Formats: sequence, structure tokens, C-alpha cells
Amino acid sequence: MSVQLKGRFSFPGGVHPPEKKELACESPIQPGPAVTEVAVMLSQHLGAVCDPLIRKADAVQAGQKIGDRDAFVSAPVHSPINGKVKEIALRSHAVIGRGLAIVIEALPNNPTKRSHFTLPDGFDERKYSAEQICEAVREAGLVGMGGAGFPTRVKIEPNPRLPKETLIINGCECEPYITCDYRIMLEWTNQIIAGVRLARRASGCSRVFIAIEDNKPLAIEAISEALKNAADGDRIAVAPVKTKYPQGGERQLIRAVLKRYVPTGGIPPMIGVVVLNVATAAAIAEAVVSGQPLTHRVVTVTGEAIARPGNYYVPIGTSVEDLVEFCGGVTEKCAKVVLGGPMMGIAIADLKTPVTKATNAVTVLTREQIGRAKFARRQTACIRCGRCLQVCPENLNPTKIAHAVKHNLLDVAAGYYMNACIQCGCCSYVCPANIELTGYVKTGKIFLAREKKKMAE
Amino acid sequence: MLKDIRVSCAPHISQPLSTRSVMIDVIIGLAPAMAAAGYYFRVHAAILIAVCVLSCVASEWLCNRIRKKPNSLDDFSAVVTGIILALSLPPKLPIWTAIVGSVLCIAIGKMVFGGLGANIFNPAMVGRTFLTASFGLLMTTWTVPATIDRAMPDVAQENALNARTQATPLAWSKLAIKNELGADIYGEQQFMPSLMGQVGGCLGETSAIMLLIGGLYLLIRRTISFHIPLAVLSSAFVFGGIAYLLDSYVYVQPFFHLTSGGMLLCALFIATDPVTAPLTRRGMWLFGIGVGTITMLIRIVGEYPEGVMFSILLMNAVTPLIDRLFKRIPAGGKPSV
Repeated sequence: MSVQLKGRFSFPGGVHPPEKKELACESPIQPGPAVTEVAVMLSQHLGAVCDPLIRKADAVQAGQKIGDRDAFVSAPVHSPINGKVKEIALRSHAVIGRGLAIVIEALPNNPTKRSHFTLPDGFDERKYSAEQICEAVREAGLVGMGGAGFPTRVKIEPNPRLPKETLIINGCECEPYITCDYRIMLEWTNQIIAGVRLARRASGCSRVFIAIEDNKPLAIEAISEALKNAADGDRIAVAPVKTKYPQGGERQLIRAVLKRYVPTGGIPPMIGVVVLNVATAAAIAEAVVSGQPLTHRVVTVTGEAIARPGNYYVPIGTSVEDLVEFCGGVTEKCAKVVLGGPMMGIAIADLKTPVTKATNAVTVLTREQIGRAKFARRQTACIRCGRCLQVCPENLNPTKIAHAVKHNLLDVAAGYYMNACIQCGCCSYVCPANIELTGYVKTGKIFLAREKKKMAE
Repeated sequence: MLKDIRVSCAPHISQPLSTRSVMIDVIIGLAPAMAAAGYYFRVHAAILIAVCVLSCVASEWLCNRIRKKPNSLDDFSAVVTGIILALSLPPKLPIWTAIVGSVLCIAIGKMVFGGLGANIFNPAMVGRTFLTASFGLLMTTWTVPATIDRAMPDVAQENALNARTQATPLAWSKLAIKNELGADIYGEQQFMPSLMGQVGGCLGETSAIMLLIGGLYLLIRRTISFHIPLAVLSSAFVFGGIAYLLDSYVYVQPFFHLTSGGMLLCALFIATDPVTAPLTRRGMWLFGIGVGTITMLIRIVGEYPEGVMFSILLMNAVTPLIDRLFKRIPAGGKPSV
């Protein structure tokens, strides 16, 4: 059986935004800036927020656990540098607005640069038991590094009620601009495959697919080449998927590769599937083999308004300002700084916002990229052209939902299955009237959740 | 360093599309039909199109002033309405009638509902229906194209009704049905002229080829989807075909129905007006089949020779119901909760 599957897998709907990967895809992963201060957020994942384990003015070592919580869906945080706790204070957080962070000052004469992990020779995943792997993943504070930040241990741990059969490794990177996963696949190929094997062993999955978009032929080739010589190559297959946004969305990827549907409102384990990002897979190998916690990650700093775009291995907690400065600063035309890609990323107002475990890119956009109408926030009335319906990967009716939310008819919006929306942004991207459909849906979801909470009380 | 950075919800990029670019596409799509109108009806075409466009734009501006709303002329939708109205009027319609029709299109057809996007009925068809109901004689006076009658482009004629007129192919086929004349030869004779446009009829309805070229442009640009035009034309063809098979002596052949009258203008430009058509694909099929069937019902069974505008208005009225009928189900199925 050949390692690489034939055909291009895809799903109905989606859009083709300009890829813009050429800005940073040639730049190898380099060490990031030498930081003097990091702010490690206590909430870098979905689930319970960590409690700080140290106090102000305590000395901390690189890799020391500084925050944890005894909840099932949670992940501890660690200090990336040697230093002293300056304060535990509120910092801007990309996702939740504001959150508690442990601010650590680096000691002046202390080397804190950490080179990335390389797999030792003679690695054999059978040396590790499933429990060992899960424990190591939990202790290293691993979370999904593709953007959502769901604790990895919860994902890969065997669950007797929902047995797992298939593991999909997500190397699609469908967001425009971002190239960090691409560089990881090219440079850290062996680690990814080691991580895949460990994840397979821990979760008990029998089949593994590594899905990569076909605009990254080098990555497909590199991974296929590495798998060819492996003894268990027949249990891991590379699935080239069509280049389309949002191909890397969990539900879309499962639909494309397995032709199966995750139930609305459900999660992939319900149909026996686990989806892990390639960066997470590499981090699993690091966590299990070397026991090092997740304190650094690869971040793509890119965009038309950045002087030197590239991929950097940076300590988690580095502020966006430091990163941008390290890349030569922004040019005059900068109009928006986005954490993540332009389709789903979050525009930040405060450049002191720290990088978290789930931050895969800092994209600095110019006015031209945003588009004149969008920049001026000029909207016209909906002309019911139906483009949003055709591109919706979840087969929803975005214009009806958005207008119901606009007029505060939450029950109508819910009747159009508002909660099934994955907020990929395709509808806003194509809308000729320039209506922020995704924004309305997000608002509606929040309002609906609040209303339900009120009813429960 | 950074003074003017903006914050908004995702996504941060968008396709270079706007309501205006969609409308300009439609205008470009209508350009071949306008050119054909200019060729066959000479100066009348230019006058009628200019009058309709200008009075539509002016009345939209006035309505916005009265309602104290921001100016909405820059989306070009009033221009599209004006052109479509002009193309569906008889060539020698008096100018004052065209102005009355245009004002009604915009004021009653669009602005009273709240402007673009909120109207239930196609504005151009509202205006035309009003004119047909009010000025029946003027609206059914068809002049022959200038390529047949040299005297036709003469504007100085005192009375439009004195002009040399010709029954439209559809009026002729209606006559055939009523009086049980032989329609078979006529249908074959008139097929090529109606394809090229050398027949009497409304300004833009005559040349089927030019309408098809414009429609093809819109399809290639993906400004319209193929669903509605295909549904309209195929259902009309099937309906016409059944009638033809029943009695080929009285009823003309089905291809004739597709190329004559307003069928192509309707299928490609009027029924595909996104504001008044359903949103879902399945809804579009039902809408198109409804338009095609009602048109043929009026043409073959009803009193009027042409039924396009009534069928459009009737189907516009049921569009919200169609949208409700074909509700989209999420890809993962209905939520179990």
C-alpha cells in the first residue's frame, strides 16, 4: 500500500482567499527575540483557568510549573525563562479580552534561549505506555496549537464510552498568510511522526491520516518520504486535500478525508475521530521523550506591513510588540494587527498582548489588504444574492441568522441553527454588501448563551 | 509607532465585491440587448432608455430626500431598474408614460418597502404592470423595427398610433389559438426573425441572441447562477411542448415560445433579480418552474398574449414562503437537543 492516498479530498462550500504564503514560507524557523519580560497567561486553553502556584517576587526556573488547576479540562502553564515574578496582574488577552497573567522578569545574566527539540536516535514509542504518554502530555501543559487551544490530554486519553478509531493529523493550514505548520512539517518531520505514533498509542486509534493541503507539495513529499522507510508506514497515510478555506476546520477535514459527518453540536470523538494539529504532534514527541513542558512555540510573523516576515521559535508570553520589533517593525501602511490569520484571527488594540500557546501567527495587514469598503465599514442593505449560503461549509443560512440577531430575534436565529456555525468567516468574506455576518452570529451566540444562563437561574 | 490600528471582528479580508459591482455587472449584461434595441428601433430606443434611467434615478433621489435617508444612488440599482423597465416597454411609448412608469417603479415598487433589499416585488415589473393596466392601448402598440420599415425612426410623427404597426409573434399565436388558425407555418417562419430580433415587440425583448450573450456574461461572472434561468426556460419548454403535442395545428412549437416575447429577458435578467428571488438552490428551482409555468399558462390558456410580468409578480409574492419551505439543514444533521 502506498503511503500517499490518491485523489484530492474536499467538502462542499468554502472560499479561495489569496494565499499569501509566499511572504514567509521560505524563511526557516529561527530563534525569536531575547526577551526581558514575559507575561504567561493563566488561561491559554479552553476549560478551567489555572491558579497561580507562585507568589510575587518568587524566583522561577525555565520549565517550572507556575500555574495549574485540578480540573479535568485544563492544562498547567510553565515559565519559559529563568527569572523573578514581577507581578500577577491583568493583561490584554486576545480571546477573553482581559485575563490574569504571571509577569516574569528575566535575570540579566541568565541565558534563556532554548533550542528546539530534536528526536534522539533509537526512538521507539513502544517504550511508553498509554498512561505514561497521557500523563506526560498533561504535565507538559499541551493544548491544541492550531488556534482553539483544547487540552490535548482530554483529546487523546482513551474514553470507554467513546472509543477512538481514527486519528487525523491536521497539516492543512488553510488560513492565508500563516506558514508555521508548513515549516514544522519540512524541518521537524521526524518529530511529527514520532508524535503521531505516540498519540496513536495513547488513544488506541487504528488508522492515521496526515492531511495536507495540495498547495504544499514539499511538505507532502517530506512526510511521505519519512513514512516510506518506516516499518508501520502502512498504518499511517498522507491524504492530500484540496486547497480551500476552511479545509483545516476539524469538521470540514473529517468530512473531506473520511466522508463522515460530525453531528451538529457534537464533537469528533462521537464518531470515533481525533484531530490533532501537526505542531501539537511535534510537541507531544517533545513532551514525552524529553519531558520538557510546552514553553516555546513557532509563530509566523507576517503580513504586507511587516519589514521582515518569518517564522520564529519564541517563548510563550512574549508580547506582540517585542515580536514585531524583532522583525523590523511595521511600515507606515499598517492598519490592523491580527493574532492568527486574517480569516479567523483576532484584531488586537493593545500591542502588549502576550503570545499564548494557541497563537500561531501575528499578521499585520495594510489598508489595501483589508479592502476599502471594509476599512471604512461601509455596509449596504442585504441584496439576498445568496453567496453566503453557497459558501457556508456547514450548510447554514447566514443572512437569515445575521438579520434575526440584528433585530434581536434570538429564537428565530436559533431556529436557523445559529449554534451550528463554526465562525469560519466565509460568509463575511464573500458578502458584496459588506455585512459582518460572522460578527452578528458571534454576538447572537453570546446573547443566546447569556439568556439560557439567566433562564437556568 | 502605531496610532491608527483598527479592531473589528474576523474576517479581516474580503472579496473585492460590492453591491455596486454586482449592479454594474448586470448593466454590462444588459448592454448587448440595449445595442440590439438601438439597432432595430434607432432613436426611440435611446430616448426611452435615457428617459427611464434618468427618471428612476431622480425619483430614488427624491424619495431619499423625503424620507430623510442617506443617498443610495451609488449602488446603481436604480439604473438597472430603469434599463429593465425601458427594455420591457413598446418602442414608441410616449415619453410622459415612461416617466410615470419609472416613478412608480421606484416609489411604489422599491422605496415604500424601505429601499434596495427590502422590496417584495421586482420594481420594474411593478411599473410595467401599472402601465399595462392603465394605458392598455399604448402598451400594446408595437411598431415594426427600422430594418423593415424605413419610416419608423421618424420621431416627428404626430400620433404614435398612426405609425405602421405589426402584431407581435405572441399576439399572433394568441390569435391562432383563439380563432383556431394554422399556427404551424407561422411559427416556423417567425423563428429565425425572433431569434435575431427582426420582429415587433418590446424594446429589449426582440433579439434573443443578444439577450443570450448578455446572460452568458452574467453566468460566467457568476453574478447569477444557472438555476433560475434553466428552470424558467425548461419548464416553459415542457409546458409549450405538451400543448404542441396535443394540437400542433393551433399551438406553436415550443422553441418559438422561448425566443419570442419577454421570456429570455425574464429568465436571465428579471427572475434572477436576487432581492426578489429565493435564497436556496431548491427554492430557486421551484421559483423558476413557477415563473415558466405561469407564463405559459397565461400565454396558452389565458387572455393576454404575454404573461411574463404577471408570473414574475406572482412568484415574487410567494418567495418568502418558498424560503420558509426549503429551510437549510446543517451539514451535521439537525441537533439532537
